[in-house]
Amino acid sequence: MSRNVSCIAFFAALLCVAVPGRAAPVTPAPAAPRLIPAEAPAIRKAVESAGGAAVLVNIWATWCVPCREEFGDVLKVRRDLAERGLKVILVSADFDDARDDAVRFLGERGVDFPSYVKVGRDEDFIAALAPEWSGVLPATLIYDGHGRLVKILEGQQTYETFRDWSIQAIEKGRNAK
Amino acid sequence: MRQMSLVAVLLVLAGVAVVPVARADEAGPGVLAIGAAAPMADQKMMNVDGKEISVADVRGTKGTLVIFTCNACPWAKAWEDRIVALGNEFQKKGIGVIAVNANDPAKAADDGYDQMKARAKDKGFGFPYVVDSTSKVARAYGASRTPEAFLFDASGKLVYHGTIDDNAQEPDKVQSRYLKDALTAVSSGQDVAVKETKALGCGIKFRA
Repeated sequence: MSRNVSCIAFFAALLCVAVPGRAAPVTPAPAAPRLIPAEAPAIRKAVESAGGAAVLVNIWATWCVPCREEFGDVLKVRRDLAERGLKVILVSADFDDARDDAVRFLGERGVDFPSYVKVGRDEDFIAALAPEWSGVLPATLIYDGHGRLVKILEGQQTYETFRDWSIQAIEKGRNAK
Repeated sequence: MRQMSLVAVLLVLAGVAVVPVARADEAGPGVLAIGAAAPMADQKMMNVDGKEISVADVRGTKGTLVIFTCNACPWAKAWEDRIVALGNEFQKKGIGVIAVNANDPAKAADDGYDQMKARAKDKGFGFPYVVDSTSKVARAYGASRTPEAFLFDASGKLVYHGTIDDNAQEPDKVQSRYLKDALTAVSSGQDVAVKETKALGCGIKFRA
């Protein structure tokens, strides 16, 4: 038995030895998604300076199952309404010890734009972004193009809800000009 | 919605825009208003000791703390030692204490009854940790997240609703001990200064 194992190991080792000049081409690893630590004022400023017709802020965390389940719909509505001027800002509420998990998750979901991780007091964060929000995750806050809060969506939502409220925010902002 | 509706009407009257909040459809009718009595106080719930118990059963002479929490949520875990310490301390000072887990274990595996028993033993819960087996109690309070505290005074009126303190992650950096301050006030018959606070938290995994 041990002789067979040794034999297999030997041939496996031979197969694994790199042959000079025959190595597989090295493809550069994709850059890790940027996760920017930010306190409430910085995130509020990001909303106001997003420059879109509407801004959807999705607050999520890696351990939060409904957050993960709706994440694909957030990214889809971002793609689908990009031409109409929707900007999407992702804010992770993960604790410090889960930051690497958050970066990994963003990479797995193909997020190739900068996003934020919340730091600072929860109360300041809630007050700055949406005072009526209970604090429950996930939460999606939808603003018009002037930075005015239009809708607070608490808990897991559907693609249609994200899309419809984003369109309402786009139109509300346009009508308010 | 009770309290929110009143606030909304006042804001509209004052000419202030109100941002509509849509809660996930499984959530309750809106959070219990300050001054309200505990809903479903006689509802029996299974404790980790194998006996059924209600909020009315634990009512204290000075007040009653009902706290919605769970095993799985990182915020609940971060605050757990502080919750247990406060519960154990103020139970001796005339405050009835009960921790309620309304999560559906099918959605949060760590929130099964056996896991609750283990957690209560491991962390030294000196007060009941019960299963809200239909999530109806959480809905009746309008609770939405874990942990979320509701403190009633000796007359049974809600005098504090909200979070534990202002820093879940770093206990040594806490500046405002909201729940402890409220418990201290209620246990000594004083008014609670800060009646409502907020923090981020995990959504309650309501049963269908």
